[in-house]
Amino acid sequence: MARKTSSVALNERLGPYQKLYLLLVAGFILGPFIPLIIQSFAFRWAWPDLLPGTWWLEQREKSILPLAWDYVISPYSQVWEATLNTIYIGCVVTVICLIICLPAARVLARERFKGKPAFEFFLSMPLIVPEAAIGIALLMIFIHIGLAGSYTGIIIVHLIPTIPYMIRMLTAVYQGLGRDFEEQAMILGASRWQILRLVTLPMLLPGVVAGALFTFLVSTNIFLLTFFMGQGKIVTLPTLLFSKISGGTLDASAAGITLVVTVPGIILLLITERFIKEEAFGKGFGN
Amino acid sequence: MPETKELARHRRERIWMWIQLMPVMTVLVVLFGGALVLGVAQSLGFAPWFGVNTFPDFSYFAALWGDVFFWKSLGLTLYYAIVATLLSLVFGILLALALVRTFPSKTLYKYLYKLPLMIPYTVGIALAVIMLGNGGMLSRLMAFTGFIDDPSQFPQILKTHMGWGIIAVYVWKQTPFVALTIYAVLLGVGRETEEAAAILGANKRQIFFQVTLPQILPGIISSTLIIFAFNIGAFEAPFILGGGFPDTLPVVAWRYFNDADYTLQLQGMATVVSIALVAGVILYSYLAFYRRYERRIGRN
Repeated sequence: MARKTSSVALNERLGPYQKLYLLLVAGFILGPFIPLIIQSFAFRWAWPDLLPGTWWLEQREKSILPLAWDYVISPYSQVWEATLNTIYIGCVVTVICLIICLPAARVLARERFKGKPAFEFFLSMPLIVPEAAIGIALLMIFIHIGLAGSYTGIIIVHLIPTIPYMIRMLTAVYQGLGRDFEEQAMILGASRWQILRLVTLPMLLPGVVAGALFTFLVSTNIFLLTFFMGQGKIVTLPTLLFSKISGGTLDASAAGITLVVTVPGIILLLITERFIKEEAFGKGFGN
Repeated sequence: MPETKELARHRRERIWMWIQLMPVMTVLVVLFGGALVLGVAQSLGFAPWFGVNTFPDFSYFAALWGDVFFWKSLGLTLYYAIVATLLSLVFGILLALALVRTFPSKTLYKYLYKLPLMIPYTVGIALAVIMLGNGGMLSRLMAFTGFIDDPSQFPQILKTHMGWGIIAVYVWKQTPFVALTIYAVLLGVGRETEEAAAILGANKRQIFFQVTLPQILPGIISSTLIIFAFNIGAFEAPFILGGGFPDTLPVVAWRYFNDADYTLQLQGMATVVSIALVAGVILYSYLAFYRRYERRIGRN
């Protein structure tokens, strides 16, 4: 009897409502992409037609100006420029973030010291201070020291939201690593440099790759700080898309750009699923 | 003698430790501290580069807080942030609870639900425009099924102060975040305690509220802190999808900064400081409340 109720209460399979719920969530997340893809190929799509009346390809020869995808891949759209900027900024931010966070994560994972909880709280501050507040205040400073509208300025502000994630992921890696292997190497007579190169780094590598990917991801998704600091001079994919849709309408080329902006996310999703374990998130955010 | 040697070694280690913490600390202290000091100073009338220096001068705050539209803006900001956070939380918990079960195509689903996490908010806004606008996809579908026969009959979702468009974007982007965080916590704690409760005769509701919920609470707290803070400071969604004047506070601040009258920048800075104050007070009391609860149930 007791066994029977327990198996009912703790079903390993999905209930019918849960199945429906998962389908609804999938529809909510992915559904809107269907009209978006259609829109990117449309020339004229009158209400209330469910499909465009005139397609882009039919008009392609007649139009003098590049339409839809022709426009997206043309230099006028700035898509290439924005993509290169996004990748460049993301890479530099990731490298700097890694360099400044690795030693700190090592200490946080292994040492106990006075004021450690306060320090950890301080490191997660960027996650809970509204971006608009910090962004506008920093913009004022950066305008005066001439960093506004420069790559350096954007890269510096991108460090703020990326540091907390990087620290958390690297600390989790160091905690999993333990000190034993390094001590073994030390006992066997390895130098500090040898230990770092031959023991620590190879063991850290998977976690470092995961942290780097995640930092890159966060950096490529930042809109507000880039928008404020870029001053319209430096476009990245999120700010480019913002300028195309800020009027509140979406034409074929804007739909195409939206899809282009989605592509790096899909690629990163495919890669990160292999590198980042879900448990790592729990360690990172659970406390 | 060995003792002093030991002490010196200890001191060297401490210094080495702080050297390792230094880079990350410097970056955050300089950026955060700089922004904080300048923000507060400027909102109190310190702006010599505009020829304004009346520090300390509370008139900017007085002007801002004396304006009824500031409070309307604050109300809107909080309304969007709170509703979106609550909806994301509920949907996210339900999603996480479903994800720990086994089901066919789970691997694929785990890719799929994370997609919004990977792409910028601006994509979500574009999707909201194409789905929820008066000439959007939902409106077309309603016309197709015969509910309406003119775009103007479609309920206005975007560009209103009800803000369902803004909330939809936040929920679309943040439900996966909450789900991922809580799913990770659920994986971490395992199912043994739930099984024990089930064997002891607890029903589904009791298991959820008395066993599962307290276990995932830390995940709930941290994920809601993060998304709530984000929602309060978010700019792009209210800017594009909002109902215009009165705007949310970040948009108001941005408009002050882009005003031709540069003295309004000080008022803008007062707005920025107000956002930080409001967020700080709410998040701090939320955390304090949670700490008290933790202590009451006997977790240190």
